[in-house]
Amino acid sequence: MTNGTNRPEDGLGERLRELDGPDSPQNGELMDRMFADMKARCDKNDRTMTGFLRSRSTMVRRLIVLAVFSALAIAGWFAFPVVGDQARTVQWTASLVTFCVLLVVAMFMVTRPVHLPALPRWQSMCLACIAVGATVLAAFWPYPAALAATHDHAGGAMVGACMGAGLLLGVPVYGLLRLVDRGNAFGSLVAASAAGLAGNFVLKAHCSVPGTSHELLGHASVALVFVLGLGLVHRWIPSK
Amino acid sequence: MDAYIDGDEAAFRALFERYGPILLRLTRRHLRNDELAEEIVQQTFFRLHGARNDFRRGSKLRPWVMTIAMNLVREHWRRSKRRKMTSLEVDTRAAPEADFMPLELRQRSELLHVALEKLPASQREVVELHWFQERPYAEVAQIVGTSEGAVRVRAHRAYTTLKQLLVSEIRGDE
Repeated sequence: MTNGTNRPEDGLGERLRELDGPDSPQNGELMDRMFADMKARCDKNDRTMTGFLRSRSTMVRRLIVLAVFSALAIAGWFAFPVVGDQARTVQWTASLVTFCVLLVVAMFMVTRPVHLPALPRWQSMCLACIAVGATVLAAFWPYPAALAATHDHAGGAMVGACMGAGLLLGVPVYGLLRLVDRGNAFGSLVAASAAGLAGNFVLKAHCSVPGTSHELLGHASVALVFVLGLGLVHRWIPSK
Repeated sequence: MDAYIDGDEAAFRALFERYGPILLRLTRRHLRNDELAEEIVQQTFFRLHGARNDFRRGSKLRPWVMTIAMNLVREHWRRSKRRKMTSLEVDTRAAPEADFMPLELRQRSELLHVALEKLPASQREVVELHWFQERPYAEVAQIVGTSEGAVRVRAHRAYTTLKQLLVSEIRGDE
């Protein structure tokens, strides 16, 4: 059935060849029209901020994102009080490192070059699940309960504050990742996961309200809201 | 491509004229919808334009454009599956080459299209690249993002399935 290259050369080969058919006589005009449309779209896009960022090389896009993340992290670290020394446990450090690693993985996925085969969607789904899972898991390693007495914050009231702050902090991360995304499938979901992780990173580093319930409702919920909210929005909004 | 990266607009046109028709055939065969195929070809070049700074001078451009186009086609199928678009909806649109193909050939072509559509997407894209685009297995593997061995297996299975589906017809021809 096949020759050395495994291409069918019998009846099937001839049948497959038929599908090629002759070229349409209008192909020249069609190509001209298509090129003009596409060129106009490229020119218009080149004039925008998004177009400028997306047309940078992958290396440059990754450096831009890393630079912005690092600048925000350093500024936040020194500008706002970090949790006290007693709260800086191994688990606390492990949570922060995990969030950072996942954030970098998400950044690499979003900035993946378009000339490489698209990542299978299960990988994006996995990242989103791991991101939410990590924030939930981190909530079970809360600020030590023994220090609870030293704080007179009402946990319930602070839930809203933490959640609001986390969501606000995640928005620029989401925005930046969408700006450098050249159109990867599920890029929105991955960027949403990164936004949730970034929000949780800051909250974990700075929030000194103790208790698992507070971290679940005020911190982990940030990742969940981003992933579910933007994931669903992305699903419902029809693409072009 | 090197000239295009250096800012030569005419080079972009030349690239489009060279690869546009190839991609148009590829996407028409896959999508069986002229309008959509044209849109995907334009989108492929739009993405190529955006990704031009990633191109390593001296490397081959064909795998690049093929990969971008195949990614877009796959993304289209994923979205249309999500929207529960029926295969009937696709078939009722304008089929490629329909206007200037003899009736008998059109019917035969239709049967072959149906057989191709019965293949899993992973096998269909291998047939497309290996048979129609005449790409070697190594390049097909690079484009679809898997190993050369896996591509060989997919191609073998696809050709066997196609042959089984069309066996009665092929015998009829003989």
